[in-house]
Amino acid sequence: MVALTINGYSYLVDAPPDTPLLWIIREELRLSGTKFGCGIGLCGSCTVHVNGEAVRSCMVQAGDVEGTSITTIEGLHYADNHPVQQAWIEMQVPQCGYCQSGQIMQAAALLSANPSPSRDEIVEAMDGNLCRCATYSSIVGAVARAAEIAGSEA
Amino acid sequence: MSTTDTQLSRRDFMVRSMATGSGVALGIGFTTGTIPGAHAAIEPAEAFTPSIWFTMMPNGRTTIHVVKAEMGQHIGTALAQIVADELEVDWQDVSIDYPEGSAENFAVYGLAYTVNSGSVTTEFDRLSRSGAAGRIALVEAGAALLGTNVEDAVAASSRVTDSVSGRSISYSEILSQTTIERRFAYPDDFRDIPRKSPEDYNIIGQSMPAHDIPSKTNGSARYGIDVFIPNMAYGALVLPRARYGAKAISVDDTNAQSIPGYIQAVTVDDSFGKCTGWVVAIAETFPAAVNAAKALEVEWDPGPHGDVSLEGLLEEYRALQADPEVGAPWVDQGDVDGSLANADDVLESEYTTDMVVHATMEPLNATVHQVGDTWHVHTGTQSTSFARMTLTAYLAHFLGKPAEEIKVVVHQRVLGGGFGGKQDYDEILAAAYCSHQVARPVKLLQTRETTFATSFPRTPTLHKLRGSIQGGAFTAMQHDIVCGYMGPRFSVGKAYGSDWLQLDADDGSGRDIDQWSIGGSDHWYTLANHRVRAINHDQTTWAVQASALRTVSNSYNYFVVESFLDEVAHRIGKDPLEFRLSMLTGEGTSRGIPNAGYEPGTGSDYYMDRLWISLPWPSEDSWIPYESATVGGAKRLANVLRVAAGKAGYGKRMPKNHGMGIAVSAAEERQSPTWVAGIAEVAVDPESGEIDLQKLTIAMDMGIAINPVNAVAQIKGAALWGASQVLSERLTVKDGAFEQHNFDTYLPIRLSQVPEIDVEIVESGHHPSGVGEPSSTVVAPAVANAVFNAVGVRMRHMPITADAVKAALKAT
Repeated sequence: MVALTINGYSYLVDAPPDTPLLWIIREELRLSGTKFGCGIGLCGSCTVHVNGEAVRSCMVQAGDVEGTSITTIEGLHYADNHPVQQAWIEMQVPQCGYCQSGQIMQAAALLSANPSPSRDEIVEAMDGNLCRCATYSSIVGAVARAAEIAGSEA
Repeated sequence: MSTTDTQLSRRDFMVRSMATGSGVALGIGFTTGTIPGAHAAIEPAEAFTPSIWFTMMPNGRTTIHVVKAEMGQHIGTALAQIVADELEVDWQDVSIDYPEGSAENFAVYGLAYTVNSGSVTTEFDRLSRSGAAGRIALVEAGAALLGTNVEDAVAASSRVTDSVSGRSISYSEILSQTTIERRFAYPDDFRDIPRKSPEDYNIIGQSMPAHDIPSKTNGSARYGIDVFIPNMAYGALVLPRARYGAKAISVDDTNAQSIPGYIQAVTVDDSFGKCTGWVVAIAETFPAAVNAAKALEVEWDPGPHGDVSLEGLLEEYRALQADPEVGAPWVDQGDVDGSLANADDVLESEYTTDMVVHATMEPLNATVHQVGDTWHVHTGTQSTSFARMTLTAYLAHFLGKPAEEIKVVVHQRVLGGGFGGKQDYDEILAAAYCSHQVARPVKLLQTRETTFATSFPRTPTLHKLRGSIQGGAFTAMQHDIVCGYMGPRFSVGKAYGSDWLQLDADDGSGRDIDQWSIGGSDHWYTLANHRVRAINHDQTTWAVQASALRTVSNSYNYFVVESFLDEVAHRIGKDPLEFRLSMLTGEGTSRGIPNAGYEPGTGSDYYMDRLWISLPWPSEDSWIPYESATVGGAKRLANVLRVAAGKAGYGKRMPKNHGMGIAVSAAEERQSPTWVAGIAEVAVDPESGEIDLQKLTIAMDMGIAINPVNAVAQIKGAALWGASQVLSERLTVKDGAFEQHNFDTYLPIRLSQVPEIDVEIVESGHHPSGVGEPSSTVVAPAVANAVFNAVGVRMRHMPITADAVKAALKAT
């Protein structure tokens, strides 16, 4: 049994504590917005927040994040209207979209730590997130736009 | 009306309102009474099944039914824009949906297959005229309700207005107040329906937000991997070493039995020639299935391809190329042999390209279950039709039942990437087999490692080129291509009784050539003497399971042709831009043709003999003539090249070790070209050989950009796909197995490697062609040509690695 707090809800999950967090989120709790991409932490599709920091959920054992606050794409904003989500729609970022939950969670974590990142800081923070459709140019612009939106909302 | 319906010609196209559970809907589509199962779809019914092109409800909603796969290109939005513009419906009133892949829908829509960047090219005309047909019927009905003349009634923004009195009525009110039954004889009336002129478009050409994007920002988009069926079990693969042809001899699950949740091991029936040697560990959870898969002890017979290696294949390629008797001419114009014999100078080059693979971000998966007599498949596929047909054949095979007794429905999901990699159906077959064995729904989910191991890569290729130079002029080109044809793997070709994809050799010998493996080598330059010899290496096809990958053979053939022509230009001392422009004259076979329409079987034109594959299925029901995407021919290619050169500042002074390279291409197929030019700027480190790709300039003429913001996004994404292929992606095979299994060794481009990209859309107003792939084809040759201009070494292998550049520099 593992006790997890995800998107503000408490879950008691019947799974071995060494189960990767990703599979509990996706297949047990069916918060399927978090995606499986590589299983070795190299693509970023499974990115979630643990206590506000971006982590690869495929590389984290569920037992190790008991007592933390976990956020998935479904819980990023109560109305799916986080500045990053707004910017992603405004800039029409997603193509196939499969990696975009991870991209958005990575970008949101970046902006909460650094509200106005430079281009180089954006590239550095987002470089671990693969996008096979190569929406990269849009991503850089959309992170900058999200910072603007967040700034104007604050 | 039901008695007259049965007498309608199959060629009638109907705009007709019909009763539904919630009122009356206006359906637009063909009467297809002679096609079994289709007629019922447009009969009045309590629950209206959306199985026609679009449906309008009295509440004001218009739903466009999209039979193309959403895999990142936002095709549903583009197709809806085409309908909505001619229908004069307010864009806010438009929705889209995706009919499932059933036999009934196949009878109505035909083949559901999303490939070749062909969706807009093939659907544009009939969707435009379908929208216009709907508008005509609504205007007529609206005019009657307003008590005015049809000639005075005009439609705009979901309303019909009497231009004399100014009174108007909404589409919603029309559909609520009257019934419509308007018939257009097909094809005669239908093709006479006027389409708008491009200057009158108000939705086409606007960057409408894509319908599928919001769901891709909040986790709610449902991909194949996101399917959950009650009582579902999970399957994880255990694979033999050899990519293809192995056979499982024994399976020992002693060690797996202690894993909590383990159910059983299933050896998949591979006597159908698919899923060879696959064993599936079935468990209650995916982690348990993966652990069980690791614990299974399986013995295999490696089969006939267990010792295949890349080096061995290339050795055999060279032996084949050296034999003048093998292969068949794909292009055979003029007197190549005579020109080469009389040449002052013959330039000879060998090019090779490695395998690359789709590596979609969504690992391959399928969920299958049986309910009553029906097999339900949930997956994201580029063809629900072929998925259904392939599974039906497989079920008939292992169940020993006639195919007619098997019912399969494919529930299409969003695709987490396609790129040509979702047109094989192995996961579906294996999931169905496992579901049958354990009598439960089974979700077969591949890991990244097994996704790589079971992938369907682009074939390795070898090219021998000879260029004839006489009196300082380029007079002939011989291009031999050796590769593994993909056609035979899809059971197409004369040997399989199918002409699809397979085209006659240019010498009338009756030998067939795989278009998808050779296309692109028939470039658009005017060259009197030109021959392309196509040579198949059959074992490659099977051993690596060669397949189509974004732009298919264009990706290697344009790399080779555009690099070689650059070599020729330098050899004869001409500027590569001027040299290209001097041959992009649009003469002879490069002239393009005005009209895409022709009577199947009667075509004698060069283009018509070839490459009808991107056009609508040539049946009487689907065929109408419209402008060919080839119109203008190579002159359009010259135009985009001039535009790109101007934007990039071609000819400007570059710093030391910096270079600019140019290339053009006309992917996807000869009959559906999108005219594109690309210019790359690189800096090469002469010590390490590292290539820093700094800027790409792309100019593209796709006729009409349906949605410019999306078109630019597609062009950029495809250009970076090309950059990734030329700089870092490489799949190799050794001992029958692929050597790369994850993103630690297979290296798609990342954000930090992305160059500045400058895109110019050149709207010529001609028939629209696809934008999802073509720009990828110019990047590799433009980079190779830029490297030559930067440091003077000609790189004739793709990818171009730093080590190779360094070695080439040392050798000079």
